[in-house]
Parts: sequence; C-alpha cells; structure tokens
Amino acid sequence: MTVPTATPAGTAPSDPRDDRAPGRLATVLASPGTRLVGKRVLLAVPIVVGVSILTFWVLNLIPGNAAQQLLGPEATAEQVRALEQELGLDQPGYVRYLDWLGAAVTGDLGTSLVSRQPVTALLGERLAVTGELVGLAFLVSLGLAVPVALLAAYRPGRMFDRVSMLVSITGLSVANYVLALLLVLLFAVELALFPAIGFVPLSQSVAGNLHSMALPVAAISFPLFCFYTRFLRGDLVDQLQGEDYITTARAKGIGPGQVLLRHAFRNSSFGLITVVGLNLGTLIGGTVIVEQIFALPGIGQLMLQAVNTRDFVVVQACVLVFAVVAVLANLVADLLYAVLDPRIRYGSR
Amino acid sequence: MRRLRLRYSAALAAALIGVAACGGGGGGAAAPDAAAAGPPQSGGELTVLENVTFAGGWPTGLDPATSTTGGANVTQLSAIYGGLFRLAADDDGSNARVEPHQAETFELLDEGRTVRLKIRPDLTFSDGTPFDAEAVAFNFTRAVASPCTCNPRWPLAENGITVVDPQTVELRFSRPYAAVINSFPVSNTNWIVSPTALQQQGEDQFKITPVGAGPFTVVENQLSSLLVLQRNPTYFRQGLPYLDKLTFQSIGGDQPAYQALLAGQAQAYEGLSTTPLLEAAQQQGALTVTAQPPTSPYVIQLNTKAAPFDDPRAREAIYAATDFEAISQGLFRGLYPVSQTFTGPGGLFHQEKVEGYPAHDVERAKQLVGELGGLEVKLGTLRSYVAEQVMTALQTQWQEAGITVSTETYELSTLVQQFNSNQWQSMLQTAGAWDPASGVGVAFRFRSDSPFSGVADPELDQLLDSAAATVDQAERARLYAEAGKRISDNAYAPFGLAFAAASLATEGVYGPGLTTKIPPIVVNTGILWDEVWRAAPQ
Amino acid sequence: MAVVDAAVAVEAGPVRGRAGAWWLRNLEIAVPAAVVALVALACFVGPLVLPVPPPIGGSVLESYLPAGSPGHLLGTDPNGNDILSRILHGGRSSLTVAVAVNLLGLAVGGTLGALSGYLGGATDTVIMRVLDVLIAFPSLVLTLAVAQSLGASQTNTVLALAFFSVPAFARISRAATLRLRELPFMAAAQLCGTPGWRVLARHVAPNIAPQLITFAMLGMGIVIVIEGALSFLGLGIPPPAPSWGNMISQGQQSLSATPALVVWPCLALFVTVLAFNLLGETLRARWSGR
Repeated sequence: MTVPTATPAGTAPSDPRDDRAPGRLATVLASPGTRLVGKRVLLAVPIVVGVSILTFWVLNLIPGNAAQQLLGPEATAEQVRALEQELGLDQPGYVRYLDWLGAAVTGDLGTSLVSRQPVTALLGERLAVTGELVGLAFLVSLGLAVPVALLAAYRPGRMFDRVSMLVSITGLSVANYVLALLLVLLFAVELALFPAIGFVPLSQSVAGNLHSMALPVAAISFPLFCFYTRFLRGDLVDQLQGEDYITTARAKGIGPGQVLLRHAFRNSSFGLITVVGLNLGTLIGGTVIVEQIFALPGIGQLMLQAVNTRDFVVVQACVLVFAVVAVLANLVADLLYAVLDPRIRYGSR
Repeated sequence: MRRLRLRYSAALAAALIGVAACGGGGGGAAAPDAAAAGPPQSGGELTVLENVTFAGGWPTGLDPATSTTGGANVTQLSAIYGGLFRLAADDDGSNARVEPHQAETFELLDEGRTVRLKIRPDLTFSDGTPFDAEAVAFNFTRAVASPCTCNPRWPLAENGITVVDPQTVELRFSRPYAAVINSFPVSNTNWIVSPTALQQQGEDQFKITPVGAGPFTVVENQLSSLLVLQRNPTYFRQGLPYLDKLTFQSIGGDQPAYQALLAGQAQAYEGLSTTPLLEAAQQQGALTVTAQPPTSPYVIQLNTKAAPFDDPRAREAIYAATDFEAISQGLFRGLYPVSQTFTGPGGLFHQEKVEGYPAHDVERAKQLVGELGGLEVKLGTLRSYVAEQVMTALQTQWQEAGITVSTETYELSTLVQQFNSNQWQSMLQTAGAWDPASGVGVAFRFRSDSPFSGVADPELDQLLDSAAATVDQAERARLYAEAGKRISDNAYAPFGLAFAAASLATEGVYGPGLTTKIPPIVVNTGILWDEVWRAAPQ
Repeated sequence: MAVVDAAVAVEAGPVRGRAGAWWLRNLEIAVPAAVVALVALACFVGPLVLPVPPPIGGSVLESYLPAGSPGHLLGTDPNGNDILSRILHGGRSSLTVAVAVNLLGLAVGGTLGALSGYLGGATDTVIMRVLDVLIAFPSLVLTLAVAQSLGASQTNTVLALAFFSVPAFARISRAATLRLRELPFMAAAQLCGTPGWRVLARHVAPNIAPQLITFAMLGMGIVIVIEGALSFLGLGIPPPAPSWGNMISQGQQSLSATPALVVWPCLALFVTVLAFNLLGETLRARWSGR
C-alpha cells in the first residue's frame, strides 16, 4: 500500500521533450482538452496546499496540544515545555507548517507525535480498508442508481417509479448507522449470511474480503444509491419533459428508449457527476461510525483518535490524503464535463 | 536518537473515562455452573471485543512505560505480560485478594517502609531472556521515572529500588506505604517487559510488538483496532494458557458488540454498560452475562474552592436535591445499590451507610436555595451515553428544588482544561477503586493536591494518607470510615450508585473474570486470560 | 426587454401537459405541501395546544414506559420523558436546522456558483478553487474542531453543516449556469446590454432554481440525519434537548432492547422527507415551466 504524497511530479503533464512524433504530439498538446487537463492539474496543487493550511489553522484552534495530552494534567509547566520543545511544538505555527510542508513535498509525512510510528505505516493498511469500503460503495450505489433512475424516468408516475421513490426516500430518512445495525441484525444474526464484524484483507482471500465487506458496503451505499436515484431520476424527467433537443430528437423519429439514453441521460449526467465528485471527497473519513460498528480497521477511527490526542502530524497526513482524493475526484468530474459537453471543451475557458 | 518520554496517565484516563463504563451489570445475572462446564479444555481461538472509547483504544501502543492508556488496557497488558500481582476472587466475586503471580512472595518490613519482592525462579520472557530481579528493577526504574499519573507514585526513598539477589527486589519508601501491594495491578509497575527485547527493538517499535512473559505473545498489532496474540509456549504456568489464539478487536459500542456476539464473530465482550442491553442479553439466553461486583460509585464533585460551592449551604442543597435511589431505579432498573461513600459493595472497606449522610429532601433543598437567594449551577460530565443520561436526571431533580442548572458534556481534553483552570462548579464522575488507596482511588478526587479534586481539607488529606500507609486492615477500615464521614459531614460531594460493567461471553466460553465475578481493578474487571478456555464444539 | 422575454418564452418552449387531469396535478402539490405544513404545525404549534408533557424534565422513575401508557401515547425514554412530546419538540430543532442549513447553502452557494458560471474567467477560477479547498477539507476534522473549541449548540451545528453544503450548492449552480450561458436568450440579454446582475436575477436565477430546489429538498432529510450523526462526535443539538437526529442516535445505542426509541423518530423523519421530496419534484416541474 503506498500513500499518495503531495508531490505534483507524478501528475504533471507529460514532458514535451520526450516526444517521438513531434507533429502529432504538438497537436495533442495544443488541443484544448490537454490544455484543460494541464491547467486543472496545476490548479490542484494550490488546492491541496490550501486544504493543508486550513487544517493546520483549524487544528490550532482546538485547545491543548500533544505534549499536554501526553503528559496529563499533573505535569508541571516545565515538563510540558520540555516535551513541547522535543516535539517541536514550541515553534510558531507557520514555522511548523512550513517544516511539515517541506517534508511532505519530499514524500515524508513525518512521525506520529503520540505513537512515534511513521505516519505512512499508520496510514498504510487503514487507508486500503477505507478506500475499498468507499470505492465499492460508489460502484454499487452508482451501478444500481443509474439503471433504476433510467427505468423510473422511462415511465414517470408508473408503478416502478413510485416503488423506487418510496424505497429511495426510506433510504434517505434512515441514518446509515441505524441501517448498519439493522443489516447486521437481519443478515448476520438472523440469517447468518454475512459476518457482523471483521475484515479479511484482499491479500488473504478475495472472496473472504468481499464477504466481510458486504454489510459495511451495503450500509454506506444504500443511502448513496437512494440519493443518486432521486437526483438522477428528477433530472431525467426534467430533460425529457421540456428540453427542445429532446423534442427535436423525437421529431426525428428516435425511439423513446434512445432518446432517454442517448440524449437525456447524457445531459443529466452533468448533475450526477457533480454530486458524485462532491461525495467522493467528503465520504472518505465520514465512514468513522460505520467502521466502528463493523470493527473495520479504517482511517476514520485513526483520524478521530489523532484529533483527540492532538496528534496533528497524523491528522495532517490523513487530511492530505483525503484532499488529494477529493481534488482528483473533482478533476475527473471537470474533465468528464468537458468530454460530454463540446461547448465547454472548446469554450474560452 | 532522541529519547522521547511520552508517559501519561493510564490511571488518569481510566478514572476520567470511568464514567463511560457506568451502568450495566447488577444482580440476577446468569452465573455459569463451573462444575457443569466440566474440566477446562486446551486449544481453540477466542475473539474478544473492546469498546473503542475505552479498552479498545491504545493509540500510544502497549509498552506499559510509554502507554497513555494503560489503565484502560489492563486486559491487553495482562494477556501479554501476565503481571507481578493480580486480583483474583472466588467465583461469586467474594474473597477478592491481590495474589502474587510472577512475583512469588512479598514481605512488608519496617511498618510498611520497605517491601521485599521475591520473583518466581526460572521465569523467562518469551524471547528466552531471564525474568529476574535485575529485569524487574529495570522496569520499576523505567516506570517510576515517567512524569505521569500512571506511575505508581511510590514515596520512594533515595535509590529506593535495589536488587538484593537474582530473585529479590527491595523497595524502600520514605514513609510507610502499606497499600503498595494492592496498588500493583493498577499501575504500570505490574507489567514487566523484556529489557533485552526493548533494547533490540527500540522504544518506538517495542510499543507495537512488545515482549513479556505473559500467557500470550504478540502476532499482530494495529493500534486501537486489532491485536492478535498467540499462546506463549514458555509461559510459566504448566499447561496454560488454554487458548491457542486470542484476538482483541475494537468495536464502536455495546449494541454492535452484542450483535457481533449473537452472530458468532466474537466470543466475548468486556465492559457492557447499557442496562437495557444487559437485560436483553439475559433474556435472550444464548450469552453468559456476568455482572461484576461494583466497586466505584458515581460522585458529584463539587468545587468547594469557588462560588457557589464554597458555601456549605449550597453543597447541602445539592445533597438534599439529589435522589440517586430514583436514578438507580429508573435508569438502571434497580440493579445497583446506592453508596454513601467512596466504596462499592465489591470493594475493600465498604460501608453501606454513613452516619448522618444528608438525606434526599426536596423541601430542605428548596429552603436552602431560598436562604441563598437562588442557586445557579453548572454541571458537567465526560461524553458517554449513560453518564449523560444520569446528568439529565440530576438536572431535572435539581431544578425541581429550585436550582437553575446548565449542563455541559466534555471530551477528556476539555474536561482536563476545566479542572486546570478551576472554572468548573460540579462534575459527575466516578470515585474509588477496589482498594481506595490504589490507582485513581479516592485521593484522586478528594486530596488537596490532586488537580481533579474540588476539596482542600488538610484533615481529610491526613486521613487518606494514614489509611494508605497503615498495614493493619481494621485500622485502615476505621480511617476510611472516618474519611467518608468527614466528606459527608462537610457535604463535599454526594455519592451515587456504585456500578461495574458486565462481561458477555458466548456459550462454551469460560474463564475467571469473564464468566465468574472479580471486582473491577479500575473500571473493567481484570480477566485472567491464561485460565480462559473454550469447550470444543459439540 | 420584450425581446429577451420572448427569447425566454421561445427557449422554454410550449408548456407541456402532464399526465392526468388538473386536479391530479394540483393534488401533487397539495398533498405533500399539506403534509409539510401539518408536520410544521404539529411541531411548532402542537406542543402549545396539545396536552403533551414537556420534552425534558420527566421523572426518571417513569422511564422506559411502553407505548399506550396513560399520559404517554408513545411511551417514555430512559429519562422518563414523553416520546411524543420529544418528537414534536425535536421536529422544531430538526426542521429549523435543516431549513437554515439549506437556505444558507442555497443562498450563499447558489449565488457563488451562478456568479462563477456566469462571469467565468478569473472570478470563476478563484471562487471554484476556494470552494474546492472547502470540498477537499474533511468534514470530520472541522466537526471535531468546532465541537472541541466552540462546543455543541444549534448555531454551531447549523454553521458547520452549512459550511459543507455551500460547495455542493455552488457546484450545481455553476454547472446549471454554464449550460444556460450558451443558450441564445442569454446571448440576447447580453447583446441588449442588460446589466450582469439583472441577467443573473431575471434569467439565470429562475432557470437554475429547479435544480437547486430539488437538491435542497433532497438535502432536508440528509441534514436531519447528519445532525444526529454529529452527536457521536460531540456536535449536533446537545441533549437533553431533543432533535430527531439525536433521538435516533441515542436510541440506537441499545437498539435490540429499546427499538421504540429509534422507530418513532425514524417514522417522523420518513414522512417529512417523503413530503419534502414530493414537493420538491413537483415544484421543480412547475417552476421550470414545463
């Protein structure tokens, strides 16, 4: 398991000196699409830096620091000062930030103030667990939401539409931690189909891994599925009922299924992409309660504990990872826009 | 390499988080019939769940000298290290006593000023190095040098730790400290690490893969999430431990833990504190519910050093307005006795009644509030579902007596801040331990020099110090009775129901402290892991 | 202006008849609107006129009473408080928080997104990058920071939740504006020399409103649910004051033993969320003039 670092080197646009077909490459490089990618990637760097600054600032608002936490309340002021000095906490905030940033750029995320373990070691497997959890949840929820929304929008107001709406609204009004408990009661306690807790690493057994992830993924993806279904179905119906390109398409004699898929869905996917891009960034780390219920060794718990022990080095590293993921998600969303909508691709932006 | 001294307060954390374990586990629990269970069987694996907010959190690792949560992690530490001493009891929880374990014998000399510990002969750590007096002295020095509340706070004389012979360590104190033996199981001096392994691995790695001489050795350790242990073949007790593999897994609360046990993914859970779930587990029938003998009562600490509780009438008003009997009945289904002092029925020196303890009397409270011209109070507690429920009930009761109450829930860190800045007025906490002198016992809440005390009373200090120093048990009992009376007479802090968390186990799992009763050492009962066994599936 | 309005009318196309008779169409608005109004009425006025006990301050000796107990239609919670009363009072805080968060998100995020999409260029870049920072900033850290430095309160909860909803509204608003910008009537408006703010207010706002409103209506339920989750982390409406979210999150701690503590607030939440969703969808269909 490797941990993404802040270094932009890996994501920089390809080096133009490295070309073997200069003519073609120049065309590709000059194309608006490539320029867009390059620009967005470059813009991603200040975002990640901005997030890390914001995190540093917010963390410093919380009373207490790691030295006080480690020494406990009976420690004398001198003891606290001495430990602060050892940990480098006596430096002004911006110095500590710049030190951290300097190291992070070289891929060194530092050592936990509390456990003295390299942060990369602490993050390692936990990141894989949460990453898999979130990744699968997105696959499942989107994989189900798109066909369901399409079917519902195909004949709005009919039985399928109504049922899917009831289901999805149920999902939106049940908290995922309650859902998680209910899923366990039904599928683990009553039916004994899936384990209630525990995590089997992918490296150990793929089937075992999926088996152990089934209920947690269901708990996270069901509300997402419901949300996406509602959102996409609403937008599709909107498109079908009013946009003149739909009218045009219909006038050209294109069948209703084709209209739905080729035209309406294509347009509606904008909103969906936006929402998914937004969710992806924030969901990671928001899984803490589900991780606790299923005893998954994920990253939410690590971060919660790190904030509570004021282990800012660990928090910063987690935040950095999330920020990179969130930025990438948004980048992909932006690029998908451009791919789907020529007006944006060739626009002035 | 810089040597970091990240010592902290196992004891402190335990005491503060203690509130979190309130509730659960009164009488009427299904006690397993040890005879029917048949002779213990060897082999098998066991997964035990620990609440992530307490025993399931070990963010600083499992080296007893550097852990900040040792008080909460007694269960993991005793599985890895065993312990010089341990608290054992008869199956029904009676006759609890601290027994030498890796220590063989001890002697209190010079009226409690000197302690001689004899270590068992032929002990080895699981890395094969000798567990001798030298190793023990090394560990003691390491433990007491740490600037933390989890160190045993021995009143050591200069060069007070000496190796007498390869089997004997001597501790010399500057004043009598007779409670030293009873304090062992709650302090980091109880867990002896292999000095050789520590040196080879370095402190930072050792806290992840520690080496001791306990019944199990570490296979895998993911901080605050998963700890996999396997049988230590060189464990000194012949034929023990029974289990081949022991896994600790953190989980997010009583409800998920209960479900996981029913689903069969784990076989034990320590620290069940939600009364309705305790009852559900008892009715459900598939689980063994063992309610542990309560040792630590709730206490409403009043800050007598500042307004409004520097006025005895205000404190008396709180006593009169508080009805813990009703809270015990309503929130805890009457499973717990209400204490009038800092001991519970499962602990040493327990007294049921304190003479002259101010009774619940709403009219009297109203009258006092009237005399004071009104009373406005801030009441706080540490974040925990059960403690917050108790706080809400108190708020209601106090308001009925005409007291204006605002409540606040704190995190550990913000709670510490409240105490340090002396801004607090009243706090719902837990007090006491199996032996009031040990760990975060009564001194922690009542001694003048404790940062977590609202009381500054030299006479009370004197009583508590004498009680800790005295060898004679009857004399100790008398001194604690006097201390309890003094607290009550001065209306320093009303006490509430005494509780202890319950243990859950699936069918076919047996073990002392898991399916039998042992009073909690600090918050959770110390399970004697080497004697835990599983019946072979039928 | 007439030109522009005509352009809008042309662009929007003829108003389509929807399936069903007119009364059915009105029913689609009337029923969910009535439910929302009823829920609001029950929560905000109900406790004043109905004979329910206060939501806090019950006797602890009356704890865990089953539904149908005398004086407690839905029973009592562990502290002996009337569950029905807590649901009504809890609805007040839950609805207040949800409306406040969505209004804040809609106003701030919607405006930022529309500005960004309409003006483009440097403004767009700056706004969107700042929002990207907010999006990429993990909610867990902010929540814990607010909880541990400022403490739990209704205001802090609203601010924290709004903080996370602003970027979402902004992104959706911007995406909708971008698509709008390329349409002929916008170009017409610009050609006419209509001031930017006027274009935004007269043409952009009404046209992007449907998407934003749908999102806000979806958001109502989500906010109510998340507010409960925040109480795990020390934020949210501080107990003993009730909210649907914190009632659910407290009740689930002993779900197997006390399902009623979870079922009733979940039911209240379900009905409310359903109504808001239906309303949102119908309104959008109407407002977009289609």
